[in-house]
Parts: sequence; structure tokens; C-alpha cells
Amino acid sequence: MTTALSATAAPAARTPRGPRGLVWAVLRVHRTALVFGGLALAVATACLIWMYAIADDARRGNVPCAEPAHDGFPSCASVEAITVDNTYADGIDLLTAALSYVIFPVAAWAGGALIARDLESGTARLAWTQSVTPARWLAAKLAVPAVLLTAATGTVALLGVWARQDDDPNLVGDWYYPDVFISTGPTAVAYPLAGLALGALTGLLLRRALPATGAGFAAALVLYNVLERTRENLWPTVTRTEAGGFELPRSAWQMSWDGPTRATRAMYHPQSHFWPLQYVETGILLAVAAAATLTAFAVLRRRTP
Amino acid sequence: MTETAIEAAALTRRFGRRRTAALDGCAFRLPAGSVCAVVGPNGAGKSTLLSLAAGLLRPTEGAITVLGQAPAAVRERLAYVAQNKPLHPQLTVADTLRFGRELNPRRWDDRVAARIVAEGDLAPDARIRTLSGGQRTRVALALALGKRPELLLLDEPMADLDPLARHQLMAALMADAAEHGTTVVMSSHVVAELEGACDHLLLLGAGRVRLAGPLDDVLAAHRLVTGRADASLDPHTVVESRTTGRQVTALVRPEGALGDGWQSTAPTLEELVLAHLRTPEAPALHLDDAREAAV
Repeated sequence: MTTALSATAAPAARTPRGPRGLVWAVLRVHRTALVFGGLALAVATACLIWMYAIADDARRGNVPCAEPAHDGFPSCASVEAITVDNTYADGIDLLTAALSYVIFPVAAWAGGALIARDLESGTARLAWTQSVTPARWLAAKLAVPAVLLTAATGTVALLGVWARQDDDPNLVGDWYYPDVFISTGPTAVAYPLAGLALGALTGLLLRRALPATGAGFAAALVLYNVLERTRENLWPTVTRTEAGGFELPRSAWQMSWDGPTRATRAMYHPQSHFWPLQYVETGILLAVAAAATLTAFAVLRRRTP
Repeated sequence: MTETAIEAAALTRRFGRRRTAALDGCAFRLPAGSVCAVVGPNGAGKSTLLSLAAGLLRPTEGAITVLGQAPAAVRERLAYVAQNKPLHPQLTVADTLRFGRELNPRRWDDRVAARIVAEGDLAPDARIRTLSGGQRTRVALALALGKRPELLLLDEPMADLDPLARHQLMAALMADAAEHGTTVVMSSHVVAELEGACDHLLLLGAGRVRLAGPLDDVLAAHRLVTGRADASLDPHTVVESRTTGRQVTALVRPEGALGDGWQSTAPTLEELVLAHLRTPEAPALHLDDAREAAV
């Protein structure tokens, strides 16, 4: 061990610091994507900090009012004069949507630029005839973006939860809206990872950049829509049957409503189902990512000696 | 230790749905330290052979061993430059060389790579996409030589170089190979490119080995003869013969002394190759003591 250390110590003095080997190669070859991703992360972080800063003012602009002011309610004219709540709601809405759609560019990029372009132009073979096996090449191509994506989407998701503060549905949307649901839990991280793996698999299968970009995007679109449609079935609903009418609270995600002929029967997910639903959906996404990754390695092993 | 650089036995590789064979039962042996020219017409299987030797393709049938092992196991000890010289277009020359250093941590020699690049007056901060074809070839060769390979596989290496750069790079390549005892395998369909540089010949045609062996032995096994058209060339093997009027010119493999009626000269490499390319039905000649698989 000591010999290995002293042998590498001499050249290390003049080589630049930072990532080495395949990690360096992946970061350098995909520097444009890295810069764009970093910019997106910086913009999202700045916006969310801004949202957090205006959150208190926004809540003051979103309160019950009376005209004229009485019983402690402020006058409606004064409340409507506060426009910052619109800025806040729009900003949160935009960032929420953006985070929930990260899977699409990631899948398209992973299919086209990350994998298929390398195979199409022959630069993959260039890497494989250095001292790097195809399996290690693919592992680095998947692991480096996966780590960065996890860090970035995790950061934005946590900042988002922080900027939402008390989750007032009038300002930040109800928890069961597709965008809100995806962006406020571990699914925010799991969706891009599944997109990365699916994109990489389409890239390996198609081996041409342009078709693989489209196919990666399409695969992500299918996954996204299938999960959006089946989300309500991922956890058993609560059924409430009562004689006469009743009202579900706004926080209930309602599936069906019968009545009121003799009795009213409602099926819904209460807000307490948020975490079970998140865990099941995240599990599905990670299983998809794992299956796509294993298939990608199997395809690569079949194709190369 | 490894006296054989490449050994192929019944090597076959098929492509596509129709399973057409790019290589069909090739057998040859290339001793370590030789500089081998792989010659053949377009579609003869030269690139397929080099890809198989580089461990990028799996043989459909048969086997190829490189430096005594499976090609994929000796990745670290061989270098390969593909025909289209793939490089990352967005990288600079300096970053491309660093790519080689980072991916070959145990073998990389910066000075060798830097010298090849410097001889071409390439700015280190020039991006690969701004380079001409010949300049890219130079960077690709620098990447291959910087790895200090024991076996260097070059697919049409000089095709897009100007004569001066070709001469200079070939000289650098040969000096490097001679200094380190590197085995070099170069494919080309330009025979002139290889003359004087190579000591071993592998002529492929339609996926089969037509000629294989040390260049001197292969040349010595052939004579270019001229004589009267009605004279018999038995029992010699005639590779190609052309009759003009009452005179016949033929490339033969003599099986003993030629008769009195024949004027014979030694063929050049180009004459030898062209004669074989023009007559695909000429019998193959193996002078490389390849262990022929029982096929």
C-alpha cells in the first residue's frame, strides 16, 4: 500500500485536483449539461429563497376580509391591494411544475446525449479501448448524473417544502395535485432517476442520438402518465358512508361520491395518505429505474465481449 | 513472454439479419514485434478484424487471442484507432490528452502524446471540432501512442493525411514501435502507404485470408514471369496471367525451377497485392505457421 501511495504521490503534485478517471471524463464530456443543470439549480434555489422571503406578506394578502372592515377582519380593499400573494402563488406553482417535469429533459438527455451519441459517433469505443471496460463506462455514465440529480432535486424539493411553509392550499395548491404531489416528497428525486435509467436504456437499444432522445422522452411520458392515472389506487382509499349529507374537508382527495339518495358514500384519500402514497410511488419508480439499469447492463454485456 | 501478438482460428463474424459473413473462417498468426499490413479491397473484413482484435466485437464463431489472452482481458495493453477517428468534438486537444491520462492511469506517458501533438502545430486549447481531418488523426494517434500499448491497431490510419504529415507520422510511429517493440497492425487499401514500413502481410478478400506471412517470405514465394503464350506454367501455381499477343505475363508461385523459356523478376508489393485482388479465385497462401483449425 505504501509503495502504491508513494508511486502516485509524485505526479499527483502537478496534476489538477478534483475528480479523476472516469468521473472526470463524464463530467468533462457532458460539461454543457452540467452547466445548464447548475444554472437551473441556482435559479430554482434563488427563486425559492425569494418565495420564502415573501411568504409572510403573501399570507397577509390571503386572509378573510370584510367590507367595511369590522370584527377584526381587515377591509377587502386593503387586502386586495396586496399583490404579493399572487407573485408567491405563481412562483411556487411554477417551481413546483418545473420540479415535477425534470424527468422529461433528463430522460431525453440520457437517451440522446449521454449514451446514444457516444455509441453513434464511436466515442464509446474510444473509451472502451482505453483501460476501461464497457460495464465501468456505463456505470460511470449512470452514477455521476444520478448522484448530481439526487443532490439537485433533493435540494430543490426540500427548499420547496421550506418555502411552502404552512402549505396553505389557497396559495400553494392542494397536496393531491399531480405537480404538488410529485414535488413535495421523495418522488421528486425518484422521477428524474427513473428518467435517467429509462433514457440510458433507450440510448443503448437505439444507438442513435436523435431517435434515442425522442424515445427517452416518450418512455418518460408513458411512465409519468401511467403513474398519474394509477396514483389513487396505490393505497387503499377510505370509504365514508353516512345517512344524510356530509361534506369532505378540502384536504381530502375525493375519488367517488354517491348520494344522497338514502345515504351518502364517499371514497377518498385523507391527507394522512400522503406518505404511504409517496412511499409506494417512490418504490415503483426506483424499481423501474433498477430494472432499466439492469437491462441496460445486460444489453451492453450481450453486445460487447 | 508473449511471442504471439494475435492468433486467430476459424474466426468468423456475421452481421445483420441476413447473417452475411464479414469474416469467414480466418486463421493466421502474427508474431509479437512485427509491423503488419492488413490489405484488402473495400468490404474485405479489415475493420471487422481490427474491431475483433480490439475486443469491441464478439466473434460469431472461432476465436481470436491477443497477447495470449482474450482481447477484452488485455484492453489496457492495446490501443485502437478506428477508421473515423472518433474523438469528443467539444473537448480541446489538451483535454483529449487528459482523457487518455485519466482513463489509462497505469500506462499513460504524457511526453509521447504531447510530442505527437506538438509536431502538428496544434494549439492545446483548440477544440477537436475545429480541427481538420488530418489534425484529428494526429490527435487520435497521440491518444493511442500515449497509452504505451504493446499492440497498436490502426484502421486506415493515414487516409486523410497530406503526404508530408503521412510521412512524418509514419516515421514517428515506426520509431516509437521499434524503440518499444510494439506490435503494429495497420489496415489500408493504399498499398503504397505501407511499403517500406511493414514486415508482415495479411491480405484479406471477401472475409477470408488470401495471403499471410512475413513480407519477405511472401514476396520470395512469388515470381513475375514473362514468356511465350503457348508455354506451360505447370506445375507452378498461377495467381494471375495476362496474355498480350503471343506473350504471357504471369504472377506465379514457383514449385521448383522455372523453365528456360521464362524471364522472371521479383514482384513488388503493389504488383503482388493487385494480382491477388484481381483474381479472387487464386488459392490462399499461409506462410505464418497458423494452426489451421480443422474446418
